Amino acid sequence: MDAIRTFKLTKRFNSLIAVNSIDLKIEQGELFSLLGPNGAGKTTTINMLCCLLKPTEGTAQIMGYDTIKEPLKVKELIGVSPQETAISEHLNSWENLALIGKIHGMSSDAVKSRSGELLEVMGLTERGKDRVGKFSGGMKRRLSTAMAMVHAPSILFLDEPTLGLDPQARRATWEHIAQLKGKKTILLTTHYMEEADFLSDKVAIIDEGRIVAEGAPGQLKANFLKTRTMLISAENITDELMYGLKGRYSQVKEVEGKLRISDKKLDFRELTDYLYLKGATVHSAALEEPTLEDVLIQLTGKEFRD
Amino acid sequence: MRFWEIGKRNLKELYRDPVSLGFLLGMPLAFILIFSFAFGGQDTRPISLGIVDEDQSQISAVFVDCLESIPAFEVSSPIYKSQTEAEEELNAGGLSIYLLIPHGFGEAIEHHQASKLTLAYNQAAPMLPQRVMPIVREAALGFLNIPVPLNVELSEKQVEIKDEYINYLIPGMAVFGLMILITSVGGIMVRDRARGFLSRLMTTPARPSDFIFGYTLPFIPVIIISIAIYLGVGILMGLSIIGNFGLAFLILFIMGICCMGIGMILGTLAKSEEQASGAPWMFIVPLAMISGAWWPVEQMPSVIKSIAEALPFIHAMDACRDVITKGVGFTSILPELYWFIGWTAALFAIGIVLFRRSMAR
Repeated sequence: MDAIRTFKLTKRFNSLIAVNSIDLKIEQGELFSLLGPNGAGKTTTINMLCCLLKPTEGTAQIMGYDTIKEPLKVKELIGVSPQETAISEHLNSWENLALIGKIHGMSSDAVKSRSGELLEVMGLTERGKDRVGKFSGGMKRRLSTAMAMVHAPSILFLDEPTLGLDPQARRATWEHIAQLKGKKTILLTTHYMEEADFLSDKVAIIDEGRIVAEGAPGQLKANFLKTRTMLISAENITDELMYGLKGRYSQVKEVEGKLRISDKKLDFRELTDYLYLKGATVHSAALEEPTLEDVLIQLTGKEFRD
Repeated sequence: MRFWEIGKRNLKELYRDPVSLGFLLGMPLAFILIFSFAFGGQDTRPISLGIVDEDQSQISAVFVDCLESIPAFEVSSPIYKSQTEAEEELNAGGLSIYLLIPHGFGEAIEHHQASKLTLAYNQAAPMLPQRVMPIVREAALGFLNIPVPLNVELSEKQVEIKDEYINYLIPGMAVFGLMILITSVGGIMVRDRARGFLSRLMTTPARPSDFIFGYTLPFIPVIIISIAIYLGVGILMGLSIIGNFGLAFLILFIMGICCMGIGMILGTLAKSEEQASGAPWMFIVPLAMISGAWWPVEQMPSVIKSIAEALPFIHAMDACRDVITKGVGFTSILPELYWFIGWTAALFAIGIVLFRRSMAR
């Protein structure tokens, strides 16, 4: 059985179509990332899967349970870390975790033991008894992620779990999420492309409410990025040589003293031979690896911002 | 017991936020102090005016009719024939001021001669004659449309009567204090929604009833403590409770539940924290005012009075005042009680329906 299925899932807000007839199929234990520019429909999709929003059309199933007909069954299976930090500011970390754990029917002992583990993993043990209103943004987000996990749900929805975290905390959260791979089904949204690349089994790119591409990160990059790019450090680059290069390749730019050359039929040997023939001295040449961000920009025409 | 967990959390949020809690309990107390010091000893209802008509002439009778038609006065009945009867009433506390129309008043008027009226008043209400004298003078000069040389004398009487304003103020202020609950109940729900916390809770298996109880039950102790504080402070300031204290408490308690219902509706409908904290003040203070929290509503325009009477607040204040100051029993306040219990039930029902709808948009 698939962990998450959607069938022509659609959400309209008056005349705006936020999510437009999307079909998702996420297997159990899979880490699936939903990527897209701001306003693409990622959070609306998650909200429908978490029973917070009713679809205008179509249906969604979580472990076979319909989100509209059996919301309580769905809610027993899921853990959600919303985009807002969504914590209770006048409680401490232990109390925040206990609240969610107990609403899910956990015993006091089980909540205590599980909270201790999560606080340790999230690096919050020392501040566990401080009111969370005094926490930094990063600490609040880590607690929010812990609250999604306290009742050990089989499906996790993590909406921008590393937004606002410093690189070190972000890396720690990635590592924790990576440890859950295979054990939990995780639906992740993120602005950090390297995060999706590093963590995801599968990625779906959503733009203006529609899924425009779906697949493993490597597969997406291979399928959608036919253009190859090389960065070359060389001397004696004359105007005549630049003119010649522009005639041969689709994109030639000078970036920080280096040549950045892109073309669908870019061949390393052929390029360096041509430079040599025209009197240039090549010091180094490197093939640029495509990133998911390149795929996204190519597909949506929009750049992401943190 | 999911509602219990949500309720515990909300109670902690409430008592760990001393600024909000202090505002919730402290603002009505500040109002009590300000109003009781500013208006203490002054009865702001239509002035209860006794009239002694020693003259018993046709002209004095017309003058009495004229005085009776003035809205600012509530002329006590019957019209006294001798000053002794009015003195007794003044001493008994039934009157604060009376007007003496002396023998020969009618004759003096007829012959355009100077006439003398006397205003006798309780010395505990020194401002009263200042309010009454110009109205009497105006009435006396105008009632026959002829200028009459008139002298209104003041006569201070040493009478001890209780300060009635505090008896009037405390029930009104207690209801006003409970109306502030609207902002607190609505505020906590809106804050949780704005910060995504309510959405998080809504992704748990908690049912709508868990939320409704979880977000309202923590305010029950707040209501009880608030009422105890308002009545306690009132007693310290001279409030005399003639009727059943428990019944007065019950009236205010039901009013508190009614305000919780309004708060729940506000919390469900408000789109932002700013709306939830600012918007209620646009109706709380005016509603308290037109419901007679601080001043009687008798002299207000009839449209305003009708609006106030259609709403629950004035009924709670009146019922509470009747119990506290007149000692009336349960059956006598039933019509008032039915009115605001009906409102409470309706508001809660609307709040629950709106909240359930908001859970599945």
